[in-house]
Amino acid sequence: MKEQSNIPTSKVERAGKFVTTGLKVGTNYIKHYTRKLMDPSTTKEELHQDNAADIYDTLSNLKGSALKVAQMLSMDKGMLPKAYTEKFAMSQYSAPPLSGPLVVNTFVKTLGKSPSQLFDQFDLQASNAASIGQVHKATKNGKKLAVKIQYPGVANSVKSDLRMVKPFAIRIVGMNEVDMDKYFDEIESKLLEETDYALELRRSMDLSRECAHIPNLKFPGYYPELSSDRIITMDWLDGQHLKEFLLTNPSQEVRDKIGQALWDFYQFQVHSLKQVHADPHPGNFLMRPDGTIGIFDFGCVKEIPEDFYENYFLLVDKEVLKDEKRRHQIYTNLEMIHPSDTPKEVEFFSGLFQHMIDLLTLPFTLDNFDFGNEVYFNEIYAYMDELYNMKEIRDSKVARGSRHSLYINRTYFGLYSILSDLKANVITGPARIQELMDARKTA
Amino acid sequence: MDKQLIRNAYKVYWLENGKAPVSVYALCKLVDVSETEFYEQYSSLEAVEKDIWLAIFQQTLDQLHADEIYQQYNAQEKLLAFYFLWVQKLKEDRSYLLLQRKHFRLPDLYRNKLETFRHAFNKYVSDLVKEGYQSSEIKERKYISDQYVHGFWLQALFVLKYWLDDTSNQFEMTDAAIEKAVNLSFQLIKSNTLDSLLDFGKFIFTRK
Repeated sequence: MKEQSNIPTSKVERAGKFVTTGLKVGTNYIKHYTRKLMDPSTTKEELHQDNAADIYDTLSNLKGSALKVAQMLSMDKGMLPKAYTEKFAMSQYSAPPLSGPLVVNTFVKTLGKSPSQLFDQFDLQASNAASIGQVHKATKNGKKLAVKIQYPGVANSVKSDLRMVKPFAIRIVGMNEVDMDKYFDEIESKLLEETDYALELRRSMDLSRECAHIPNLKFPGYYPELSSDRIITMDWLDGQHLKEFLLTNPSQEVRDKIGQALWDFYQFQVHSLKQVHADPHPGNFLMRPDGTIGIFDFGCVKEIPEDFYENYFLLVDKEVLKDEKRRHQIYTNLEMIHPSDTPKEVEFFSGLFQHMIDLLTLPFTLDNFDFGNEVYFNEIYAYMDELYNMKEIRDSKVARGSRHSLYINRTYFGLYSILSDLKANVITGPARIQELMDARKTA
Repeated sequence: MDKQLIRNAYKVYWLENGKAPVSVYALCKLVDVSETEFYEQYSSLEAVEKDIWLAIFQQTLDQLHADEIYQQYNAQEKLLAFYFLWVQKLKEDRSYLLLQRKHFRLPDLYRNKLETFRHAFNKYVSDLVKEGYQSSEIKERKYISDQYVHGFWLQALFVLKYWLDDTSNQFEMTDAAIEKAVNLSFQLIKSNTLDSLLDFGKFIFTRK
């Protein structure tokens, strides 16, 4: 991997980066319309590809939170034109690494010793780059370790980054600014949490202990004595990322096993622990041919407030939904319907949401669900597309959906999209959750 | 009585009194040594002050040279490692240095006190630059290459100044600043940008 020669950190420099992108995107549009003049058959696809490439280049140069936002956007596949998604999906794996001396310096500063003093072997070349840090391979006492190191100044730049990425997010997602504020607050607070490695270490240890009883999950061991607020040391996990794993043509049985493990992992967290690993992008999972899955990176954990939990999961209950008044109440609680809405708008949006909810919660209502069912996902994407293009939604000036739903939706979205790539057949009925909770008690 | 002791005493005097010792006598009283012993080590108070800078630099270098990984670095990485460690060492005396800055507008009006440090630094950097020629990290340019060391000295002053003003957690912004400054400088002396710039400059001036 080529080492990045410079990271723009000062605000002005970052702003400069965004301005250049803005200009480039502008030129891409001009190019597009000129091409279209010459050849009317030109599609928007190419334009989106050009734009995505330029925006991605900018974001990956900035690292940190901007990259994180790119990842968030890439999660909601349906929300974005396809070309953006593919380019952004790359950001889940690769961003250029930082220099060796800086890595050493981070160790000396936060742990008082250099990596060569702490480990038997330490690879100064990063083996993986994450959005706010990079991962190095190390060994100690014959054990392979993964050492995650945070880039300096990340926490400082979260705020200014978000402010600058906002116009792009608005442009891409097509939401209005008022809408975005509420969500950006949520994103900001989560991102700041992610830069706190001490918190992440604690959570990683807690959550992996709580979930240890779920079959086929593998969590790394953590080493607090080799970790600091900028460094986390854990066992090295073997396995492949989703895409490479699928290339090995795993059997249906293995896919089902992994799919089930993932489903159980998320359901147990949501329903029992009321906090969830809210970063289900493929880079955080390592799949193995024996049907087990390694899970790490608890940097982004969403705690689910009780009242939100209740309202959110009442939506799954068919009986409750039949009661018109109660349903309306739930929508209001979840801020999907705004007090200022006219009766006509209420009816319009209720209809939309109900259809979306019916679609998205389908797996919950069945005992078994085949995530390989493409018809189902195509229907979701088609519906998302329809929503995305709907004039009423784009013109709506109010925020719809509680801020908590952002990460919960994202979590389920990510989960669904991984399961769908796996084409896994999963036991999804409520009895399964109960089983897991009982198993925890006896464990 | 060794030099280290006198340097420390000098710093303590500053920290406690907020000003320089008025005389060698005052300083010696603090550590209970005779003035003769003092003059065996240093010729004046100013020499002590200069030596504080040099000592920090020397400690940094000694530690770097003892480091196995440092030996494997290329010139650019070596300079990076140097700055990181140097700033780390400066931290031990931060309170003293901040006092100095307040009194002398460090580093702008303070150059003469950095004199001995500067000589040592220039020596270190010119070795690095030579190393850079060999690994072709740095391009040798007639007349101009000789000026590289001065550029790096300004860079060191920049780092020092940035660090003195840095209020970020664990001075992590200084880390970022170092990384950027060093990368920029090495890109400049490696690439052809500088050549083109000089060529252009020459062209403009000779046209007249």
